[in-house]
Amino acid sequence: MNLTCDQLEAVLPELLDGSPDGATQARAAEHLATCDRCRLTVEETGEVRSLGRAHGRLRLPDEARRRILDALESETGGGG
Amino acid sequence: MPPISLTEVFDRFADGVYTLAVRLLRDHHLAEDVVADTFLAILRGRAPYRGDGSLAGWVYRIGYRRAIALLRRRRELPTADAELLPLADRPAEAVHAEVIRPELADRLDAAIGELPPTLRAAFVLRDVNELSTAEVSAALGIGESAVKMRLARARARLRVSLKEYLRESHL
Repeated sequence: MNLTCDQLEAVLPELLDGSPDGATQARAAEHLATCDRCRLTVEETGEVRSLGRAHGRLRLPDEARRRILDALESETGGGG
Repeated sequence: MPPISLTEVFDRFADGVYTLAVRLLRDHHLAEDVVADTFLAILRGRAPYRGDGSLAGWVYRIGYRRAIALLRRRRELPTADAELLPLADRPAEAVHAEVIRPELADRLDAAIGELPPTLRAAFVLRDVNELSTAEVSAALGIGESAVKMRLARARARLRVSLKEYLRESHL
């Protein structure tokens, strides 16, 4: 049986994270073949996730990294 | 689990804990304090790792609790919001900043910052730091179904906030 739009939205995390069971994947594919709105939702949500992965991560500044590592080393007497 | 040195744990997770803390606190100096506190707590054995769960979940749990404590404390200060650093002025570099336009980067920063902290943490841990659902569950101290619910809400809000940029992001 084909999924409704609400049901499609409920399984969206599994679809995007690549872990739906075969039956869910098949039913979702059937729904997406006929529903432009849900297809757009899936595409845009996937883009949001990709943006987060591509840009969201920050690098601890080198000065802070050195300072924290120095503090850790001073507590361990120079060991790691 | 084979022995792992504190330096190795630091190298593996320092950027991720920093990312989580910056995204939650929107203050780079406080975020650096969170990183320092997290690894000093590990060194001092305040929250010993028992080896029976995810190492990432354990490390992020310590950092998350510290960041949330600072967030709560800052909310009690009436002038706190006016003192927040605009994230666009950050001294830190995004690890992959070159792949998107600066204006999109700024808009993504703002959109993440507009999420409630609980949704923000789920999004940052799962979609930015790329932890598994089980690791996010351990880090946040909530069940996996709650993680999925928060993640779905966060993604849906970001989709609305970023709608005008999504079709042209060219990732």
